[in-house]
Amino acid sequence: MADGILLERAGLPAVSICTDPFALTARAMAAAYGFPGFEYVSIPHPVASLNEVQIQARVHDMLPGLLRILGVEQWTPR
Amino acid sequence: MEYYADQGWTDGLPVVPVTESYLAEFLAQTDRDPGDVLLPMPQLNRACTVRLAAINAALAGCRPEYFPVVLAAWESLAAEGYPAKGIWQSTTGTAPFLIVNGPVRERIGLNSKGNVFGSGFRANATIGRAIRLGVLNVFGLRPHELDQATQGTPAKYTFCIAENEEESPWPALHTEFGLAATDSAVTAIVIRSCVHIEARHTRVPEQLATDIAGTISRTGALIHETISAAVVLSPEHARLFSAAGWGKSDLGQFLFDHAVRTREELAAAGKEAVSSRTRWRLPADHPDALPSDTGDGAVRVLNSPAAVLVVVAGAGNAGVSAVVETFGPRGGPPPVTRVTGRGGAPRCA
Repeated sequence: MADGILLERAGLPAVSICTDPFALTARAMAAAYGFPGFEYVSIPHPVASLNEVQIQARVHDMLPGLLRILGVEQWTPR
Repeated sequence: MEYYADQGWTDGLPVVPVTESYLAEFLAQTDRDPGDVLLPMPQLNRACTVRLAAINAALAGCRPEYFPVVLAAWESLAAEGYPAKGIWQSTTGTAPFLIVNGPVRERIGLNSKGNVFGSGFRANATIGRAIRLGVLNVFGLRPHELDQATQGTPAKYTFCIAENEEESPWPALHTEFGLAATDSAVTAIVIRSCVHIEARHTRVPEQLATDIAGTISRTGALIHETISAAVVLSPEHARLFSAAGWGKSDLGQFLFDHAVRTREELAAAGKEAVSSRTRWRLPADHPDALPSDTGDGAVRVLNSPAAVLVVVAGAGNAGVSAVVETFGPRGGPPPVTRVTGRGGAPRCA
């Protein structure tokens, strides 16, 4: 969360990705950085134990939300 | 009391109300400026100052004369490195472990003998608690919010011991790292667990050391490629080793050589390989996996004999010791920090 906020403030578009159980922590961290409204992508937990196919599915599912936060208006899923 | 609880300023137990005049008694124990920073956490834009440390020591129920030990504990934690890097926000849920040496132990009644890990002694209870309350109140590392510990450890309430220098056959811990026996010191280490070892059955040092090595090398402790440990020996076990001519470094060498797991044992737990990116343990069929260690079948879990810290504590009444599982792969000198009082002088008896 901190990295995403600091990158945004440095002018680099960034989207932070967290897993669902960290929602409360993510909000607390964003508040600690003076950016309580910081939007991020939340995905199901866990990730560390997934295989390649499962990770690709996670990425596929998160893409619309990620692109929306980045401000992308048009994209064609491959 | 309820007011303090309602403000969220406690660790779940009642705290001592603190007035300015009471706080002044703590600040009078040191020459340090109340605004001096002891431990900064730049990623949170927060820092623990001498004044904030004093408030939390008072809340914890410390007596003012404990405050120089609390200060040394904060300084030792800053030197230790992991707290400043945010380890207390991690899911791994570590606690600060404080080891106190020197004349201050007797002066303030710090327990180094029977039940050294348990409760019953004000100095042990409150000095460790002073740190815990600081972590909660100064840095805001509250569970479920900025503290993401999955389960944590009971050691988070308090974990402060004195070394039993009087019944140890070896030099006191702080004297191994440049301090005089007449100095008092705190050594703070970030830890995961305190694991009990029952070994009343043998007088053979290799057997006892093998028993200890088996606890150090349990697969559940292995997250990174290597781990570290503090071995807290009861006086009986320490004397068993020293009577056989072993010093602390001999024990460290033996544990380095014998805290091993076979590749089969690691593979059964899916930990036989390490990640090429992070050096975390994983199964060999993971795309990031490198094979770990070289091919003699037994994989060492410690990276060097110096990854083991040996101290002596507890009663001299049984063959019971403990492995305190310290966080991270270690090997350099521990952050032994001198206790200083008013006048900058060491606090001596």
